Amino acid sequence: MKQEAFQAQHEQDWLNFERWLDAHAGRRERDRKTAEGLIPAGQFPLALRRLCQQLALAERREYSVRLRDRLRALAQRGHQVLYKPAPPRLQHMLAFFSSQFPRLVRAQWRVMAVSAALFFLSLIAAVVMLQLRPELIHSLFDPQQLANFESMYDPARTRDRIGRSEGADLTMFGYYIFNNISIGFRTFASGLLAGIGSIFVLLLNGTIIGAVAGHLTSIGYGEPFWSFVAGHSAPELLAIVISGGAGLQVGMALVAPGRRSRARALVEAGVIGAKLVLGIFAMLVFAAFIEAYWSSKLWVPPSVKYGVGGLLWVLILAWLWRGGRDIRSGDTGP
Amino acid sequence: MIDTLRVAETPEGIFLQMRAAGALPRACAWALDFLIRAAALFTLAGMLAALGASGSGVYLLALFTVIWLYPILFEVLLEGQTPGKKIMRLRVVNANGTPVTWLASIVRNLMRTVDMLPIAYGFGLVASLADPYGRRLGDLVAGTLVVYVDVPVRVGELPSVPALASSISLPATERAAIIEFAERSARLTPERQAELADLLPMLTGARQSVAVRRLHGLAASFLGRA
Repeated sequence: MKQEAFQAQHEQDWLNFERWLDAHAGRRERDRKTAEGLIPAGQFPLALRRLCQQLALAERREYSVRLRDRLRALAQRGHQVLYKPAPPRLQHMLAFFSSQFPRLVRAQWRVMAVSAALFFLSLIAAVVMLQLRPELIHSLFDPQQLANFESMYDPARTRDRIGRSEGADLTMFGYYIFNNISIGFRTFASGLLAGIGSIFVLLLNGTIIGAVAGHLTSIGYGEPFWSFVAGHSAPELLAIVISGGAGLQVGMALVAPGRRSRARALVEAGVIGAKLVLGIFAMLVFAAFIEAYWSSKLWVPPSVKYGVGGLLWVLILAWLWRGGRDIRSGDTGP
Repeated sequence: MIDTLRVAETPEGIFLQMRAAGALPRACAWALDFLIRAAALFTLAGMLAALGASGSGVYLLALFTVIWLYPILFEVLLEGQTPGKKIMRLRVVNANGTPVTWLASIVRNLMRTVDMLPIAYGFGLVASLADPYGRRLGDLVAGTLVVYVDVPVRVGELPSVPALASSISLPATERAAIIEFAERSARLTPERQAELADLLPMLTGARQSVAVRRLHGLAASFLGRA
């Protein structure tokens, strides 16, 4: 078939396809009606397949470059529309958080264990060291910072506020979201530096948190401090551990990709990391909410705060340990 | 290695052609996005100044959104384009040419943390200079690619001349070359057209503008015009 005849036969389809793409990109009601009139709902994949077949024919018959470019441009635009990612659905999100995320954490138990060991051991070591040799705190913080920590948890001054130097609940909520989630994200991302970045962030955060806790305990400010952190400690610390694990598995993909190519291993580790990051995000938002609107409340007696904090540790660990156990195949979520 | 064209086969059996963008247009897009983000935060800060302490909480939430979520939301919801990329006519796609997905966009944007090291996107620049498709580290881990948005092509009108049957049979590639010459003629000066047509004295049996007209006629007949 000569090109002109081919063009004459399909020109109307191509024009319709192009108009449909233009109308589809528009957001107005009129655009939607136009699109519906050109290609009925559900018929678009068929129209794209037909166009692709015509493009393949044009390529095979070596029709002119202009025609092939035009058809290819149409096909590429159509491709972008057809393969657009579906908007997240509530059902998928629920399935993700109830089962897929805990399963993923368990599947990555090796890096999670390493991450937890790095973080909690450095934290405990810092607490213990400061009970034995309290003066070590001065090698970690300068006097200004120490005075700030001490004033936030001074039992004599916590009648009106606790755990913060000033600021309303919403301000602190914004601060916790910005600060903690940024740390979580960076802990994950810095794992790309052969895991060293994540290890560094885990050790640094473990040591700093442990040092502050140890110092405040050793100077007798233990109760305001521990009752303040008890509530949000479970989601926050576990999220940091998981983000460290997410970073470590990216680092492992780079250092020891196994039988996969390094590029392939990195992409696979990236997908796992992104899913873990979604869970970390949710955990840290939850932690920030508790920290801003519960931990700082002075009318709650410390015993209740310890109880709630312990309950959250049990619930979150149970969620991570049992979540998604009863589902047979990994077919949940997007 | 010089060609940045990347070809991906689709399930429909066609080959997508993507032109990978290098570091410079991407840096320009980033700078434009930076200006937009800074302007948005500046405006918000001005409006919140009146609200006092609670206002700064909202500001921190906005800061978080603008720093971390802005590129992810724009890339996934607006066809792989942040405003800066839209102005620079760039688009983020998956390596197989499909629109960028949520997980891939999350990875490539969080990995900016590493690309920014040690200063001013140093690692990202080195990676994109070393990679044939100009990908920074975040793109390599996410399996994504920044490509140029194709400019819509308009089919050029052939000069309307009567078709002229060829006296000899030509192979397909040579027919295609003549058709392309005719299609491109509108964008060439008459002198250049004549110069090119003069390369084929045996085929046209003429020179200068007559040769050009005969080539146009041949093209018309190859396309199937009467």
